[in-house]
Amino acid sequence: MPLVQVLPNTASTAAPGYTYVVDTGFDPSKAAFNPKDRKRVSHRPGGRRGENELSARQQGVIARRIADLNRDNDPKQVIAIPSNAKSIPAKTQNTRRILAYQRQIKHWLDEEDAMLQQAAQAPTNRPAAGHTLRRQSTFSRGTTMPPTPAEMTPVPTAAPEPTSSSVRLTADSKTEQLLSVDDILPPPLNQAELEALLAAPPLSYAASHAAAPTPDGPPQRRFCDNCGYWGKIKCLKCGARVCGLECKNAHEATRCLKWA
Amino acid sequence: MAPKSKKAPATIADKTLVVDNGAYTTKAGIVVASGEPTYDNCHVFQNCIARSTRDRRTYIASELDSCKDFGGLAFRRPVEKGFIVNWESQKAIWEHELIGSAKGGPRCDPRETNLLLTEKPNCPRELQKNCDEIVFELFEFAAYYRCVGPTMNAHHPSPHSSSTVPQECVLVVDTSYSDTTILPVYSGRLIQSAVRRLTVGGKLLTNYLKELCSLRHYNMMEETYLLNEIKEAVSLVALSEQQFASDLERTWKGRLGDRKPLDPSIVVDYKLPDYEQLIHGYARPHDPEKVRKGRAAVNHPREDILTLGNERFAVPELLFNPGDIGIQEVGLPKAIMESLNALPPMLKAGMLTNIVVVGGNALIPGFMGRLESELRALVPSQYVLGISRAEDPIKHTWLGAACLASQPQLLKEVLVTKAEYDELGSTLVARRFAGER
Repeated sequence: MPLVQVLPNTASTAAPGYTYVVDTGFDPSKAAFNPKDRKRVSHRPGGRRGENELSARQQGVIARRIADLNRDNDPKQVIAIPSNAKSIPAKTQNTRRILAYQRQIKHWLDEEDAMLQQAAQAPTNRPAAGHTLRRQSTFSRGTTMPPTPAEMTPVPTAAPEPTSSSVRLTADSKTEQLLSVDDILPPPLNQAELEALLAAPPLSYAASHAAAPTPDGPPQRRFCDNCGYWGKIKCLKCGARVCGLECKNAHEATRCLKWA
Repeated sequence: MAPKSKKAPATIADKTLVVDNGAYTTKAGIVVASGEPTYDNCHVFQNCIARSTRDRRTYIASELDSCKDFGGLAFRRPVEKGFIVNWESQKAIWEHELIGSAKGGPRCDPRETNLLLTEKPNCPRELQKNCDEIVFELFEFAAYYRCVGPTMNAHHPSPHSSSTVPQECVLVVDTSYSDTTILPVYSGRLIQSAVRRLTVGGKLLTNYLKELCSLRHYNMMEETYLLNEIKEAVSLVALSEQQFASDLERTWKGRLGDRKPLDPSIVVDYKLPDYEQLIHGYARPHDPEKVRKGRAAVNHPREDILTLGNERFAVPELLFNPGDIGIQEVGLPKAIMESLNALPPMLKAGMLTNIVVVGGNALIPGFMGRLESELRALVPSQYVLGISRAEDPIKHTWLGAACLASQPQLLKEVLVTKAEYDELGSTLVARRFAGER
């Protein structure tokens, strides 16, 4: 089948024969009809959400809740600092500026992220791929640095293979072999590697976070939204878990996110 | 042309102020050269300014000890996520506690004192720069060293040798108020690329308990101080996932027509303070009769009881299973392994033999047992696992830094004096602290 391609055309956007439609991911060459209906959602490219996958709204609710749990100061409360006659006056402009800052930590972290993005883009002038920012230095002199040690270091083998040597298995050497610690000791430290490891610059705040759990690990445990016991029943309206009829009623009366 | 000032002065000040500036408490104390610091030299105070809406007073840091009514107390903390963010309030607290006349405070004169200040790892550079500028331009300390706090734990005198060099391999697990960090330290130097951080810290646990209690019992969303006290009094870590499941059964109320009695060996009643007779509450084993009587209260004062069942162990469980509330992170034991897997195998083996846990969450009963057993299951069997909690997890980092400060020859190498700062400027000073000469 010949390839039909629309070449970019700067002359006019109102060329006859074109119409702009919303892209629903529907390709008439593959499916006979356009699955607009919600009931046919499983026909779409992404397919239906898995049993344990969360909708965008549920993810948003969780993210907001974690941010709430992690908040340091209540933004609604403004606590003035009591005046003190013996207070040290700020003499330089720098210190006056720093004392006047009312920014919160998220502003500083966002600024740092933006600076890193900029530094990653600047030298080669190409868009930085999302994953290159992970485990990257906070220092902009990254070009002279060796590759990050995380990539350089070999993954430690679970059991280093025993040193294969053609020893005669006399009684003596047998006990020697049994008592020897060579095969349980990992390979010795490479001095250059160690120096590179110690000289590596700090990671950025975002890059130092622990990784997400692997999908093959145990599934997320679900607890009752109301009493904290195992959440055996899923609320049909919002997807939260409850443990029984009593907690389901309490949940629907107070916490159900259907209308949140 | 004026002669250049000498790079390092012949003498440094005799006294060093060691400050471990945490988000919840600050640990500070004066250390003299060649002295032997102990935990008693350390002055611990809450790093906050609190405002009470009831008696309309503002409490700065250790003034909170004289507070009689913790109801509805609002806090302003200068340190967020472990980094000093708000210098306006931090300055007021330092002036009150470190320089001013606070009870038990060091009362130092900055111009004649060195400052050894600790910070969390992975601090944004702008914040580090602000910190350096404030220390030299506002407080005008004689000399200054800023370092990553938990690495100071390597400077404790090792039980195996009497030398003054830092311990060779230490893996510090710092489970503090803001978050939990894992730091491999080699000969006193931090291996930056293997530092890992978990979102869960003491603050998140307190806020989570606050949310649970507000949902299930009374509205306590404004009572952060009280909930923190409750958390410290009652929380415990289940010894294993199986233990967690069986504890959950024991604290379950049962179904509608099939009530189960709550097990008094795990369910506790927390007597809430009324701030008249009782300022600090306390926990006692659950007794449904007493709870009913206390609520009814005909001819005796009403007793407010908070019955805590699965909240006791489900809250600290977040350290080991952050996924329980949907945080997309692995638990603490797996994060430790993740950090170690970034190291060469020999170093990994060394780190595993010397894991030190510091920070307030380590005080939760059962924490160490759970961490050790889960970690043992993850560590290959040929490796030795040595894990211990610091003697005083809260002051341990401070004491390590104090050990460094008490050795003039080590301290001299790392300090930057005021004269050097005036000459070099904050950018170069920040580079020196980052280990670049």
